[in-house]
Amino acid sequence: MTGQADAPHISVDHVNKRFQTASRAQLQALKDVSFAATRGEFISIVGPSGCGKSTLLYIVAGLLDASDGTVTVDDERVTGPSPERGVVLQNFSIFPWRRVIDNVAYGPEMRGASRQERRRIARQYLETVGLGEFAEYFPRELSGGMKQRIAIAQMLACNPSIFLMDEPFGALDALTREVLQEQLLRLWERDRKTVLFVTHSIDEAVLLSDRVIVMATRPGRIKEIVPIDLPRPRRAEEIRALPQFGTLRRHIWASIRAETLEMMQ
Amino acid sequence: MKPDSAAQAAPLPRPSSRPTLPAGLVRWLHAVARYYPVALILLLWELCSRIGLFDPLFVPALSDVLQTWYVEMFVTHDLLVHIAYSFGRASIGFAMGATVGIMVGILMGRVRAIESFVDPLISAIFPTPKLAIFPLMMVFLGIGDASKIALIFLGCFFPIVIATYAGVKNVDKYFIWNARTKGANSRQVMWTVVFPAAMPFVFAGLRTAMLTAFLLIVASELIAANEGLGYLIIFAQRTFNPTLMFAGVLTVSTMGFIADRLLQALGRRLFRWQEQAER
Repeated sequence: MTGQADAPHISVDHVNKRFQTASRAQLQALKDVSFAATRGEFISIVGPSGCGKSTLLYIVAGLLDASDGTVTVDDERVTGPSPERGVVLQNFSIFPWRRVIDNVAYGPEMRGASRQERRRIARQYLETVGLGEFAEYFPRELSGGMKQRIAIAQMLACNPSIFLMDEPFGALDALTREVLQEQLLRLWERDRKTVLFVTHSIDEAVLLSDRVIVMATRPGRIKEIVPIDLPRPRRAEEIRALPQFGTLRRHIWASIRAETLEMMQ
Repeated sequence: MKPDSAAQAAPLPRPSSRPTLPAGLVRWLHAVARYYPVALILLLWELCSRIGLFDPLFVPALSDVLQTWYVEMFVTHDLLVHIAYSFGRASIGFAMGATVGIMVGILMGRVRAIESFVDPLISAIFPTPKLAIFPLMMVFLGIGDASKIALIFLGCFFPIVIATYAGVKNVDKYFIWNARTKGANSRQVMWTVVFPAAMPFVFAGLRTAMLTAFLLIVASELIAANEGLGYLIIFAQRTFNPTLMFAGVLTVSTMGFIADRLLQALGRRLFRWQEQAER
């Protein structure tokens, strides 16, 4: 099965997630979520706050358990986290007590690579994200954008076949964000990994993705899946100038906006 | 953002005709100069004694105290023996308290059953002044080393276990998640995430515990002992030897000061990665 080109790489089937809130009430965070990602596909997940998009990503990562339903990767059921599914979390979850190079070397270190071997791997991925000269710095000495690139290098060093990214550029200024989007595009075009990318930015989702999953809230569920049939390889300025880009952006925007207004009434 | 902070730290060479001292020496001089109020008080003390403002039976001159100190320390070596006793007991108690405190603190932070069992015990026992239990300990363990070490162990255990527990509880969930997605098993998460993240808290606990150890060793030796700095002080007082008494007090406070400074310096080295470590 795994060898087939159109077999899903990630398959999410009828996933429900309920949380027990502090007031003993049940919160339905996700309701009957199903979708599949083919190998090498870039999928973004957008939606209003509280729609469970991060929760969905954590379930695929194996960090949270689904209340019902299953997640399978290459026909194997996900029961816990694995370095095979690389994760970049929101706010700079790299380790402040490790130097940059030892942060990037973390994954290889955990699987028992020798000091020399893991340093070599770490150097390679630090170069990939353009931070080779900051190897011996501590994270606190770096800017937010640099920290997030280190988080990406840390994930790359595990050589995962899937990237799960939870608003990786959310806390960055607009300019840094655009530079990193461009870098991610180049990286994806080179390696063609399967990507699930949670974001607040519709612009970012359309720019990067093959498909955009639009989620609705209360309960969190998939509202629609929008195919992004823009040409590849993509250059950010060119893509943003295309008329289809505006059309897709407006379509998704309207979809989320209707949802948000409904919720407020 | 701040890759240039190293450059800021180095002072710019000022155009000056004066010969410049090496930077290390300058820093050291600055550190010493910071303690001028202490030097001032000591000077005032000596001055008051010299002009006869202090009765030497109550407050002997600093110079006499220092002379006695020198003799006791380097000629008869009596003081050295007392220091060795006090320091030995305090370090053993402290080391035991730290080891057990850190272990229990980590277990409390990670294992729910242990947390719910130990937490109320700590809340109940912690506020008890440990010195109040000392007579009880003497009944069980005698007036020798054992009762004092046990007292210091107890005094050190509580601040360390509480700090460690708080530190472990405070570890950001996302650090742990990040580690797990990079393939770390629970033992690796423990050593590479929970422990380093909790270290600054543990260290704060160690500092409190060390000062407690100094307090308790002197107090317990004042109460009952045949050697040690506390014994020396109370012996000097009972034999009307104020110079020796002051020499003992001076030794205790200097030891406490040096130990605390060393621990702080170690902390600065260990926690260079911390955001708030900049000053």
